Amino acid sequence: MANMRAAPVEGETSDRWEAQLRKGALEMATLACLWKGRLYGLEIIRFLESHSRLVLAEGTIYPILNRLKAEGMLTSEWVEAEAGHPRKYYSLTDAGRQRLRLMAEAWVSFSQGLSQLLEPVLETKEISQ
Amino acid sequence: MTQDMQIESYLTALRYNLGPLTIAEREEIVLEIGAHIRDSAEESGAGIESVLARLGPAEKLAAQYRDGLLIRKASRSFSPLVLLRATLRLATKGVFGIFVFCCAILGYSSGVVLVFAALAKPFFPANTGLWFQDGRFVDSGVLHFPPPAPPAHEVLGMWLIPLALTLGSLTLLFTNWAIRTALRVSQRWQSRL
Repeated sequence: MANMRAAPVEGETSDRWEAQLRKGALEMATLACLWKGRLYGLEIIRFLESHSRLVLAEGTIYPILNRLKAEGMLTSEWVEAEAGHPRKYYSLTDAGRQRLRLMAEAWVSFSQGLSQLLEPVLETKEISQ
Repeated sequence: MTQDMQIESYLTALRYNLGPLTIAEREEIVLEIGAHIRDSAEESGAGIESVLARLGPAEKLAAQYRDGLLIRKASRSFSPLVLLRATLRLATKGVFGIFVFCCAILGYSSGVVLVFAALAKPFFPANTGLWFQDGRFVDSGVLHFPPPAPPAHEVLGMWLIPLALTLGSLTLLFTNWAIRTALRVSQRWQSRL
């Protein structure tokens, strides 16, 4: 009985942990989408879906873009499209490029260190109870 | 309800809930989200309902914009009222926010009490201060009626004024700085999935 109750709690904890991890990575991932050129909101969402596992509720990306723009990391411009309505394109500013570069370096060195630490954990096939 | 009416009703709810933003900001957001809905519906061929469901409720989307604005403004503000309002909002979001809010209350109240002590001392010299007896701390207070009875005696005298003023101001400044730093850190974690 006790085991049955414990299992979902463990699941919830790891879900929450994963959600926190994704939240932290989302800002960097959003900036990274724009590394090669300007994109509009829906393109950024699709780019994130195809290049990372950061599956997100679509609405959440827009307040993040808004904040990054207010912080001077992004600029935006409205461009008339064939669709019949204008689209708001975002590009990285120099400050945004710099911040992304620093974030990417920190992320890579951090994850390499952790990967080494976690290697033996993943090599063990069965977890003894 | 036609598709256009569904989109319009979503955008009206969004516009209404974006109240604190400037009209220009609000209209730009509404225009951008409107374009998203139309593009997304066209691209996926799915109905407007599923596009709106993926976008999330208009109230929730607007709240994310409002929170971003509140915290951004506060992290640049020196006004304790603005900072406290932002920490109160942060407190509704989790343990970190509650911790920041409690520290903010503690910091501001300590600072205010110290400054108040410095102001009260010239008018109530016998009732404000730090009392010792035989070299040991007995009591401290502002407007302490009646003051601790002799042989306990107040040790700071008029030195309390510069001391409490300096310490109080430093406490208030430090609290302001700590809240602004905490708000900036929290901004990194505002992004929700």
